Amino acid sequence: MTQDIARSTSKGKQFRRLGMKASENIYQLIIGFLLALLAATMVLPFLYIIVISFTDSTAYTSGMFYLWPKKWSLEAYVLILSGKGFINALKASLFITFVGTPINVCANAGLAYMLSKDELVGRKLINRLVMFTMLFGAGMIPNFINIKNLGLINSWFANILPSACGAWTVMVMKSFFQELPRDLEEAAEIDGCGTIRMFFRIVLPLSLAMLATFTLFAFVSYWNCYFSAILYLTSSSKQPLQVYLQKLVLSTDISEVVDVADDLAKKVPQEVMRMASLVVVVFPILCIYPFMQKYFAKGVMVGAVKG
Amino acid sequence: MTVRERKQSVFVRLIKYRWLYLLGFPGMAIIFLFNYLPMGSLIMAFEEYDPWVGLINSPFVGLKHFAKLFNDPKFFLMLRNTLTISALSLLTFPAPIILALLLNEVRSAAFKKTIQTTIYLPHFLSWTIVVSLTFFLLSSEQGLINKIIISGGGTAHSFLFDKSIIYYILVIQSVWKGVGWGSIVYLAAIAGIDQGLYEAAKIDGANKFQSIIHITLPCILPTVAVMLILKMGSIISVDFEQVLLMTNALVKDKLEVFEVYIYNNGVKSGSTQFSYTTAIGMFKSVVSTILVISTNRIVSSNGMKGII
Repeated sequence: MTQDIARSTSKGKQFRRLGMKASENIYQLIIGFLLALLAATMVLPFLYIIVISFTDSTAYTSGMFYLWPKKWSLEAYVLILSGKGFINALKASLFITFVGTPINVCANAGLAYMLSKDELVGRKLINRLVMFTMLFGAGMIPNFINIKNLGLINSWFANILPSACGAWTVMVMKSFFQELPRDLEEAAEIDGCGTIRMFFRIVLPLSLAMLATFTLFAFVSYWNCYFSAILYLTSSSKQPLQVYLQKLVLSTDISEVVDVADDLAKKVPQEVMRMASLVVVVFPILCIYPFMQKYFAKGVMVGAVKG
Repeated sequence: MTVRERKQSVFVRLIKYRWLYLLGFPGMAIIFLFNYLPMGSLIMAFEEYDPWVGLINSPFVGLKHFAKLFNDPKFFLMLRNTLTISALSLLTFPAPIILALLLNEVRSAAFKKTIQTTIYLPHFLSWTIVVSLTFFLLSSEQGLINKIIISGGGTAHSFLFDKSIIYYILVIQSVWKGVGWGSIVYLAAIAGIDQGLYEAAKIDGANKFQSIIHITLPCILPTVAVMLILKMGSIISVDFEQVLLMTNALVKDKLEVFEVYIYNNGVKSGSTQFSYTTAIGMFKSVVSTILVISTNRIVSSNGMKGII
C-alpha cells in the first residue's frame, strides 16, 4: 500500500516533470516566434528590395511583387554606378567618412585623455565647458552663420568638424582612460617616456576595443550624414550619398539625378533603379556591422550608458 | 597632488603639462569653434539682423521677436505637433522593456545572439534609408502594401499623404529603428539581478510569469524610472531629420515642427528671417535645457545616479 502510494507519487512527479518540460518548450516556442517575427520585419524589407533590384527589366512588370527574380540582371547597378551623379556622391561620402573618422577619434581621444588627468590645471573648468555643450546648443541659424563666417560653406569639412568632438564620447572615453591601470604609465614615466609617446605607445594600445567601437560609431555617423549636407553644401555635385538616395527615391525624374543619358535611364524601370540605389548606399553599413557586433558584447556600450 | 606641487605657480604647472594640453587642443578647438563661437550669434534674436551691417551694428529690438513668437498661430501649431509626436512616442516607451524581458527568457544562446544581431541593425541606418524603405512599402504606385492590396482586388491607398495616419507612421518608424538598441540598457539591468532571487522564488513555487512580475520588474524599476525621466527631458525635441524627410505638401501642417520651420524659413529663404528664426531656435534650446536640467535633478535627487 505504502509502496503503491510511493510509486504513484513518483510517477506523478515524473508526469509533472514531463508536463513542465513540454510547457517549457511551448513557452520557448512562443517567445522564439515573437522575436523571430520582430526580426523578420527588419530582414524582409531588405530582401524584397534586393530581389527587385536584381530583377531584369524585361522580366519586370510594374505593379507586381516578387519573392525571387524571374531573371537576374545587374543592369540597374551598372547604370547607377556609371552615372556621374553616383560617382560625385560617392566621392563626397568617401571623403567625409574617411577623413572625418580619424579626425573624430583623435580629437575625442586626445581631449578625453587630457581630462582624465586629475592634476591638470583648469581641468574642472574645461570639463564643465565640455559638459555644457550637451545641455545647450546655439541652434541651426547661429551654426549656419558660424560655418559661413569660417568659410566652410560648400566644404566637406563643414560636415566633418562640427561633430568631430562630442561631449558624450569624451566623457565615455575619459572614464575608460581613468580605469586603466596606473602602474604602466608610472613605470613609463620613470623610464623617461614623454606624455605624447605615452599616449600613443601605451594608452592607445591598451584601449583598442574602445577605440574600435568609437571608430565604427564615427564611421556610421559620417556615412549617414544627411542634414548637415543639405544645410552646408550648396552645390549639388558635392552632396554625399544620403542626399543622392533621398533625391533618387523622392524625385519624379530620376535620370537627372543619376546623370546618365536619357535613353539609357529609360531602359531600366524607375523602381528597380531606386531600390538598387538603396542597396548601394546601405551596403557599407551592412559590411562593417558584423565587426561592430563583436564589441556589443564587450560591455563598452553598457559601460558607456553607465558612464 | 603633493604639497610641493600645490605650491608651484599655475604658470609652472601649465608648462609642466604642456604636452597634455597639446593632446587635448584639437578637441578643445573644435568644441570652441563649433559650439561656443555660434553662441555669439544668439544676439541676433534681439536684433533686426542685417548681414550687410553685421551683427554688432544691426539695430537692437529687445524682445520683439519673442513677443511675435507668442502671438504667432504657427508657434502653437508647431508646439502642438511636437508635443503630439512626443506623446505618441512616449506610449511606445515600454516596447524595449518588453523586448528585453522576452530576450532574457530565450534559452538558446545562438538564437538569442542571432535575434540581437538583427534587431540592433536599424539603429545604424540613416533616416534617409528608413524613409526610403517606408516609401517602398507604402507609396501608392511602388509600395509593396498597395501592390498586395491591388492584387487582392482592392484600391490603392496613398498612406504617405494621409494626414490621419502620418503620426502613426512616424512612431512605427521610430520603434522599428530604436527598439532593439533601446533594449540593451534593460538587458544589462536584468543581467545584474542576483540569480539567487529566482532560485528562491522557484523553491517557493513561483512560475516564470510570477518571477518576472515579482523579481525582474521590481529589480529593473530604477533603470526604467531613469530612462522615463530622461525621455521626459527631451519631450520638446523630435527627430527632425525623420520629420523633414517625411514631409510632403499634403501632411505639411501635421509635421511642422520647430526645426523644420527654421530650416524652411531661415536657411532656405535667405537672411531676412534670420532674427526671427534664431529667436524660435533659442526659445526651443532654452526650454529643452531647462527640461534636461530639471529631469537630471530629479534622477540624481532620488539617489539613482549610480544607474546612468
